[in-house]
Amino acid sequence: MSRWAIGLWLAFIVACIFVISRTEFSTDLSAFLPRSPTPAQQVLVEQLREGVVSRLILVGLEGATPEILANTSKQLAAQLRTQADFVSVNNGEHVGEDKDHDFLWKNRYLLSPAITPAHFSVAALRNSLEEALQLLGSPAGTLVKKILKDDPSGELIRLLEQLEGQARPAMQEGVWFSKEGKRALLVLQTKAAGYDIDAQESAIAVIQSTFARVAGHDTSVQLQLSGPGVFSVSTRERIKGDAWRFSLIATVLIACLLLLVYRSFRVLILGLLPVASGALAGIAAVSLGFGSVHGITLGFGATLIGEGVDYAIYLFTQIAPSVAPKTTFKRIWPTLRLGVLTSICGFSAMLFSGFPGLAQLGMFSIVGLIVAVTVTRWVLPALLPQGFTARAVTSVAPTVMALVKRAPVLRIPLLLLVASAFVVLIVLSQRGPLWSDELSSLSPLPKADQLLDEQLRNDIGAPDVRYLIVVNAKDAEAALQASENIAVVLGQMTIKGALQGFESPATYLPSLQMQRVRQAALPTTEVLRENLQLALRELPFQPDLFKPFLENVAQAKTQPLSTRSNLQGTNLALKLDSLLVKRAHGWAAMLSLRGVTDPEAITREIAKLPGPQAIMLDMKYESDQLYQTYRHGALTFSMLGGIAIVILLFANLRSPRRVFEVLAPLAAAVIIVTCVLVLNGHMLSIFHLVGLLLVVAVGSNYSLFFDRPCDTSEDRERMLVSLLFANIATMIGFGLLSFSHVPLLKAIGSTVGMGAILSLVFSAILIVRQENKPIEKAKSKV
Amino acid sequence: MRSLLAGVCLLMAGMGMSAAGAEQAKPASLDVKQLMQNLGHVKVAKGTFVERKYMSILSTPLELSGTLIYTAPGHLEKHTLLPKPESMVLEQDKLTLENKTKNQRRTVVLQEYPVIWAFVEGIRSTLAGDLPTLSKFYRVSLDGNVNQWRLQLVPVESDMRAVVDEIHISGSKNWVRTIEIIESGGDRSVMTVTEDAS
Repeated sequence: MSRWAIGLWLAFIVACIFVISRTEFSTDLSAFLPRSPTPAQQVLVEQLREGVVSRLILVGLEGATPEILANTSKQLAAQLRTQADFVSVNNGEHVGEDKDHDFLWKNRYLLSPAITPAHFSVAALRNSLEEALQLLGSPAGTLVKKILKDDPSGELIRLLEQLEGQARPAMQEGVWFSKEGKRALLVLQTKAAGYDIDAQESAIAVIQSTFARVAGHDTSVQLQLSGPGVFSVSTRERIKGDAWRFSLIATVLIACLLLLVYRSFRVLILGLLPVASGALAGIAAVSLGFGSVHGITLGFGATLIGEGVDYAIYLFTQIAPSVAPKTTFKRIWPTLRLGVLTSICGFSAMLFSGFPGLAQLGMFSIVGLIVAVTVTRWVLPALLPQGFTARAVTSVAPTVMALVKRAPVLRIPLLLLVASAFVVLIVLSQRGPLWSDELSSLSPLPKADQLLDEQLRNDIGAPDVRYLIVVNAKDAEAALQASENIAVVLGQMTIKGALQGFESPATYLPSLQMQRVRQAALPTTEVLRENLQLALRELPFQPDLFKPFLENVAQAKTQPLSTRSNLQGTNLALKLDSLLVKRAHGWAAMLSLRGVTDPEAITREIAKLPGPQAIMLDMKYESDQLYQTYRHGALTFSMLGGIAIVILLFANLRSPRRVFEVLAPLAAAVIIVTCVLVLNGHMLSIFHLVGLLLVVAVGSNYSLFFDRPCDTSEDRERMLVSLLFANIATMIGFGLLSFSHVPLLKAIGSTVGMGAILSLVFSAILIVRQENKPIEKAKSKV
Repeated sequence: MRSLLAGVCLLMAGMGMSAAGAEQAKPASLDVKQLMQNLGHVKVAKGTFVERKYMSILSTPLELSGTLIYTAPGHLEKHTLLPKPESMVLEQDKLTLENKTKNQRRTVVLQEYPVIWAFVEGIRSTLAGDLPTLSKFYRVSLDGNVNQWRLQLVPVESDMRAVVDEIHISGSKNWVRTIEIIESGGDRSVMTVTEDAS
């Protein structure tokens, strides 16, 4: 029988290793953002992964005088512009705008929204010329007069005006600066997509080495980097580091604990077998279930080590001298099984939480625990040395027993403590929300990084894109045509005051259809010459001044239509690419809106448009909605997890009183942990909520053992000592995570680590069993 | 009004903005210092102006007129009344342009438009008697005596030199009478200022 078990186990391990060897490991941050339910949000998530937004790196330089910072900015930009890793390097210097203006100039009659047949009538031309004359009288006249002969109707100026109005950073010393002038700013766009973390990492390395060269031995200037790519890289580093470090430290610490307790290398190895099997099975299961394994899941392995080793500890420690391991197991198995089941209930809440990342952690833990307990139950006893008994028990037991005996004295103080913590929580919740309402609380980024990013974005003047209209179409042309139809409506709404302005991809590249319409609207040279002559009467312009204008219009009438390739190398191309995106099926055009005051009216009006359905997105509303949906989901699943645990306990203990006694220490621990977290200034997130559920799931193991009747005082001694060691192991596993730099791991680690100790201590205080008497008898005999 | 800035943008781009550091002006003579001190004493000045612009693209010069208001140390208003009303208000580093007939209003941060900045600073710093600022943009020299003086401003920055050859400001005692701008292409403009009788 045991041979079969060992054989099966070995085959299972080989299978797991095979699966793992073919597993892809990822550190994609979006795994810890909620899954996006709507198609429009899908577009945004895609953008976050590979769109232009994902390729931006924001650079801040600070710590020196504006002159030094500006100089560093110019040198850094100049050198980075020669690097192939970057598509664009912008620091406010007017580099590369020639190409933009060249494109606008050459295509002005195809691009200008003013081009209609009426635009070149006598009256309209007269009006344009009078305006030009007024402009000549202003300080700008000096500048405008150079292009007047080619463009008297002012198309170029109209186009430039259209592109203006976007918020731009402040200027100082010829480069971009933050408003207060402390920080010089650059915006880089990488060639590689944001999800290509290796390429992002090398781009960042290029920035850092170039900066080091530019700054030389002047160490006063500090380089700050932010942006999706930077975050991906730093998070990968952190996750990699944390996953290895914590798993390694947990293993070493727990190995030390086992060695200390059992003084046997063989037993140490045996003790780690269930955990190692569980970890391998967990990774293999996640790999099969999710297609890839996230780095954070591996980091969570530390908790599995802490929790999974418990089973071996229960077995090893509770084996009485001259009793076969199998017999011992039969005794503790019902309690252990119930403990495992409650833990699984807890981790199930993670499995169904709606976050792919959290679900991975749930599956990893559940499979890991089941395999760990199975190996402990059916494989370990056969491998244990004959006549094995844990020596440490005899040395520690008296102290533990003494403490446990006295623990109930603390009942009243504990009740007072819990009551006051409860009051504190109620008072604090009156003052302000204890729960974070922001989606960013789920971000795997540390708060400091989020703050720096926010500051840099503010400085750059990147407007918070709150309202966005997204329209999907079969090809780019159809998407641009749809944008043009929407733009007409938005133009009318702008005049009515429903919004201040908007940005459309068709501003940079009109649809071919629109370009043809404009071309057709241009008059023939004869008609234009005649109209111009009439319009020029009594105006002080030199005769024949506008000959180039006639030639330009004639040329524009037959010039080839412009396409995306004409924009290559301009800053306008970058803008176009961020607003017109190729998707898996077809294309999406996005129009970003500024200064929206009446979103309902806009939604109503664009809904009336024929053609592809346009969706108005309120990003803030959507993300709040999203967060609330997921918090609601997490709450529901945590409740269900909690209810499942209670039902499980009822089914097994069959006594409301015992269920209450088992749960009371856990409830006390949850209240105290919550209070400590809140008092430490934490805004509670979904991750804390999951952590609190795990406190119940993990802590129930302790209270169940306390609740379990023991036959003899020796059994009880052994049981208590095993709980102590198991608790220390769990605490090592979760407690280590509270030192993690990944907020998710930190939140769960600190919550469960603290909760595990409290559950044990509170169980000792609150659960008193009659079996204490035999111990006294035993002692009196001695 | 906005088109004004757009035009400037275009031009700056065409010229390929370079960022040469400001050259040090020649050591100012005692006379310039004296004149600047005199001008610096003026706290408020109001006047009417007539501005004539001679341009090669026009067969007859363009004539504009209106009022000027200066308040020390750096507030300057130019209200053009003819041929079409238009006003410019300069306050610290912001230039606000307003066209009431078109109901347009636009504020410009001077730092973002170095050529416009050089233009307005040539006049404002002269009125304020602010030689250090003036010297940042121009090489300054002076002819004449207290009753009839003529300042000659030559831009130091290449961007500005591409647009303007020289600015001549002449006046008497602490009053500016004419401002003449000679542009690189040969066009020029002359503004004559008369003090308000009140």
